[in-house]
Amino acid sequence: MPVAFITGDLVTDVFLGAAALFMLLAIAMFYRAIKGPTTQDRVLAVNVLGTNTVVILALLGAGLGEPSLLDIALVYALLNFLMAVAISKFTVERGGVL
Amino acid sequence: MIETLRVGAIIVLVVLGLFFTFVSATGVLRLPDVYSRAHTASQADTLGAGFALAAVALALGFGTTSYKTVLLLFFIFITNPTAAHAISRAADEQGIEPWTTDDDRTDRDLYEASEVETDGGVATNGGEQP
Amino acid sequence: MSANSLLVPVSGSSTERQTVKYAVRRVLDGTGEVRIRFVYVHPPDRTQETSPEEVVADAGLSPEQATRLLDRVAVWAREDAGEDISRLTVETAQIGLTEYLFSPEDLATRLVEETEEHDIPHILLDPEYNPGIGSPLLRPLEYELTRFRECTVEEAPAQLRTRRSPLVIRSTPVQVGSLFLVSFLFYQLLAGQLYWFDLVTGVISATIVAVGLSRVTFHRNPSLRSLSQIGRLILYIPYLLVQIVKSNILIAAVILHPRLPIEPRLTRVRTTVWGGIPVMTLANSITLTPGTLSVRVDGRSLTVHTLVPSAREDLFDGGLERAVRYVFYGRESMKIASPRERGDTKILQPIPGKSDGSDENESPGETGEADETEVSDDREASGDTETSDDREASGDTETSDEQGGEQT
Repeated sequence: MPVAFITGDLVTDVFLGAAALFMLLAIAMFYRAIKGPTTQDRVLAVNVLGTNTVVILALLGAGLGEPSLLDIALVYALLNFLMAVAISKFTVERGGVL
Repeated sequence: MIETLRVGAIIVLVVLGLFFTFVSATGVLRLPDVYSRAHTASQADTLGAGFALAAVALALGFGTTSYKTVLLLFFIFITNPTAAHAISRAADEQGIEPWTTDDDRTDRDLYEASEVETDGGVATNGGEQP
Repeated sequence: MSANSLLVPVSGSSTERQTVKYAVRRVLDGTGEVRIRFVYVHPPDRTQETSPEEVVADAGLSPEQATRLLDRVAVWAREDAGEDISRLTVETAQIGLTEYLFSPEDLATRLVEETEEHDIPHILLDPEYNPGIGSPLLRPLEYELTRFRECTVEEAPAQLRTRRSPLVIRSTPVQVGSLFLVSFLFYQLLAGQLYWFDLVTGVISATIVAVGLSRVTFHRNPSLRSLSQIGRLILYIPYLLVQIVKSNILIAAVILHPRLPIEPRLTRVRTTVWGGIPVMTLANSITLTPGTLSVRVDGRSLTVHTLVPSAREDLFDGGLERAVRYVFYGRESMKIASPRERGDTKILQPIPGKSDGSDENESPGETGEADETEVSDDREASGDTETSDDREASGDTETSDEQGGEQT
């Protein structure tokens, strides 16, 4: 159930606008993720993208009055971390079990 | 009065968050090799996310939802440097050399120099594993 | 005579009695005069002028307790010798009281010194020997000792062979209880409201977590000392935040600068922080502080990538290191000199113009080319050359890799 905690339209606008800008920055990360050249560069770019996604989720949660988005952000933050560590470990012991 | 102050603080925090995330994005696109990119990816990005989440926490006020923001902040501050460490460590283990100022090779050259070595490294590792 | 002598480090473990018996039997198998030297090694915390509360904590004994332990062991040894007592000389010693023995590596070096000093070529390790130096994740003592050629190491074959490895340590009720409490509180924090459904599911999942994971979460009972550490950690966080913001602004200026004035270098710092969690805290703090990124952690020595000279200077001044020491070892440990003063710093890549920066490396360009020419005929060899040339930590590179892997 959405709670009416946002005090004014200004704050909502700020959050939604910031979320849009964060999205642009996240999209810029695709350049590094695609170009590489190393696997680590790609993981790094996706990691930054993931952090940005977490922030976007939180901003949208506040801007749209959907606190449940924060739970998704929490899960996403943890998955993002696991992704980075797992891929790093995998690239080191290629073919080994994680 | 307090309300305007709060709104002002929120705006300032969001702008700061955007600024540092922008710095981090610029760094990841602009810096010459994977190690230097890991710097901005772990640091400027963490701070940017920190400011933005602080703004969200401030907007939500006290309550169960803003606890989650604080928790999120805590996670990001713990996990981001660890992830950056794991990534740069993996790069180091693959034998990718850090770029230095007087080095005229590009990141691709460094990577290709390392790729061959990596194969050798894996073979040695496999042989020596107990 | 010296061939029939043994150096036995003791720590008051459960299998000590059997080890003593084995040691005595083993030396008396030889002929002539034989010697056994029992040593007790004091963990590093004891060597500082610590506050009284800290002396009680941790696994170490006070000098008086250690004397009692050594006396007891010596009595056992004489008892086991029986009628051969005339041939056996039992010596006891305490080491580590006047020096810092931070890591298994230091301890191994010290033990080998001891064997040379007293002309005893064999070390007998108790299977349960636990010097209280270094966490289970750091490289174990046995491995360190095998790196020295001057003496031989043997492990006593005790009957109770319950080998300790970090994953099979039995957990105590205190550990299970505190983990249960922490995970239950975390669950309620996520749930938000105190509703019976959340309480019941919280109890169930916290029980599963506590029973299943308490063995990997704690290595020893959480104590009041950990509480005071948490208190100091809370003081540390604002300090860290200020550092982060300050240096972030600096780095932001560098990155947004049109010419991108960076001067990245790999450096190595040998820190005076020991144990798993303190080193992790330090490495993570170093990574969080812009301009420095910890690439590799081998016990106490960190390989740090630095982006700009000013960040490098800050790292060598050791402000963070001092703060982390304050958090984990209290105020007294802040007096230890900075890495620069101790000479524990090293820049691994040469700086043009400053030839004194690093003396043992060729320029990276040369290394790379040399490798590539070699690569064509022998891949494996080139892989090896790369690591040993570049990191100057030849020899132990392979193993330290595996070691650090566990830490991450």
